[in-house]
Amino acid sequence: MLSENKTITILSILAAILFVFAFFMVIFYAPIEVNMGLVQKVFYFHMSAAWVGMLAFLMAAVFGILYLVHKDLKWDRLLASSVEIGLLFTVICILSGMIWARPIWNTWWTWDPRLTTVTIMAFTYIAFILLRRSMDEPSKRAQFSSIYAIIGFVTVPLTFFSARLLRTIHPIIFGSGGVDMNLNQPMLTTMFISLGAFTVVYVALLLQRERLMQAEEALMRLRLQTEIDADWEDQADA
Amino acid sequence: MRAWLSTAWVLVWKDLVQEWRSRDVLTSMFAFAVLSLFIFNYALELSPINRAEIAPGLIWVVMVFAGTLGLNRSFAAEQDQGSFEGLMMAVPELSVIYLAKMITNLLMMFGLAILVIPIYSLLYNQSLFDLRFFGILMLGAWGYSAAGTLISSMTVQTRMRDLLLPVLLFPLLLPVNMAVVKSGSAIIAASSVPEFQSWINLLLVYDVIMTVVSILVFEYVIRE
Repeated sequence: MLSENKTITILSILAAILFVFAFFMVIFYAPIEVNMGLVQKVFYFHMSAAWVGMLAFLMAAVFGILYLVHKDLKWDRLLASSVEIGLLFTVICILSGMIWARPIWNTWWTWDPRLTTVTIMAFTYIAFILLRRSMDEPSKRAQFSSIYAIIGFVTVPLTFFSARLLRTIHPIIFGSGGVDMNLNQPMLTTMFISLGAFTVVYVALLLQRERLMQAEEALMRLRLQTEIDADWEDQADA
Repeated sequence: MRAWLSTAWVLVWKDLVQEWRSRDVLTSMFAFAVLSLFIFNYALELSPINRAEIAPGLIWVVMVFAGTLGLNRSFAAEQDQGSFEGLMMAVPELSVIYLAKMITNLLMMFGLAILVIPIYSLLYNQSLFDLRFFGILMLGAWGYSAAGTLISSMTVQTRMRDLLLPVLLFPLLLPVNMAVVKSGSAIIAASSVPEFQSWINLLLVYDVIMTVVSILVFEYVIRE
C-alpha cells in the first residue's frame, strides 16, 4: 500500500502526462471541422471543463451528505476543495465557450438559456465561498457548507430541465435532437480522451487541495498553541 | 404527526399575532414594493404594448426583492430576545420550527401579493386579477419561502447576516423565477405557450423537493 503522499504525487504526474497527451491529440490528431474550422477544437476542452464542473459539484453534494452522516472534517475539506475546483472549471468552460462563440455566433455573449443557467450555477458556488468566509467555527461551517452544497446541487438538474423548456441555440452533443455537431470517429476519440484526462486532473487537484487545507489547519492549530504558550509564559513572568 | 402539525400551527399563530401587533415587516415590505413599482416606471418607460408582456415578471421581481426584507426578519424576534433555545426545547421535533417559519413567510408573501396586485392594476391601468396568475404567484412564493426560510436560518448565524441572504438565495431561485415569469406572461399576455403546463409541473417539483430537503436538513442548521 502506497502512502497518501506518494499516491497524490503519482496521480499528479499521471494527470500532467494525460493532459499533455490530450492536448496533442486535439492539435494533431483531431481533424479540422468542415464548417467551423480551427475554432471548433476549443470544443474538446470546453466540454471537458463543463463535465469536470458538474462532476465537482455533484461530488461536493456527496461529500456534504457524507459529512452530515459521519461528522468527519475530512469530508468538509474535500467538499470545499471540490467546489473551488468546480468553480474554476466552470469559469474555464464559460470563457472557452465565449472564444468559440465569437466567430460562430458573432458575439462573445448571448442570453441563451444554456449560458445563463451555467453562469447562475457558478454564482451559486461563488455564494458558497462567501458563506464559508463569513464563518469561523469549523464544525458549524462544515454543517452549513454541506447543507448549501446539497441544496445547491438539488437545484442544478431543475435549472437544466427548465433550460430545456426554452429554445436554445447551443449545440447539443448528447441526448435527443443532437444534430448540430456531427462528430466523426477521431473527433469522438479525442473527446473521450480529453474527458478522461480532465477527470484525472480533477481527482489529482482535489487530493492536492485537500492536503493543503489539512496543512493550513495544522498550521492554524500550531499558531494558536504557540500563542497560548506565550500567554502562559507572560503570566509566569509576571 | 398530529402533534407536529398542531405545534407548527401554534408557532405560525404566534408569529402572526406578533406581526399583527407591530405590523413592522409587512408595512416595510409593502412600502418597498410600491416604491419599486414607481422606480421601475422610470427605468423602463413602459409603453402599453410592452406592459402586458412584462407585468408578471415585474410583479414577481418586486415580490422577490421585498420578500427578502421579511426573510431577514423571520428569525429576528428569537434572535433579539435570545429565546431561540427556549423555542428549540418547546417543540417535539426541530423541523417544526422550519415548517412554521416557512408558512409564516408564505403568508407574508400572500399578503404582499394581495396588496401589490391591485396597486399595480390601478397605477398601470391593466387588470392583473386572474386567479390562475395568482395561483402561479403563490406556487412561486411557496418555493421562495421554502428555500428562503432555510437560507435565512443559516445567514442569521453568520458574520455577514443580511448581506449574505440574497447572494445565497437568488441563484437557487432561478428555476422558480423562470417558471413564474414565463407562465405568468403566458396568462396575462394571453399568448399561447405550448410548454405552459411544463412550467407549472416544474414549479410543483421545485416546491416539493425544496420543502422536503429543507425539513430533512433543518436540524443540522440549528443544532450545535
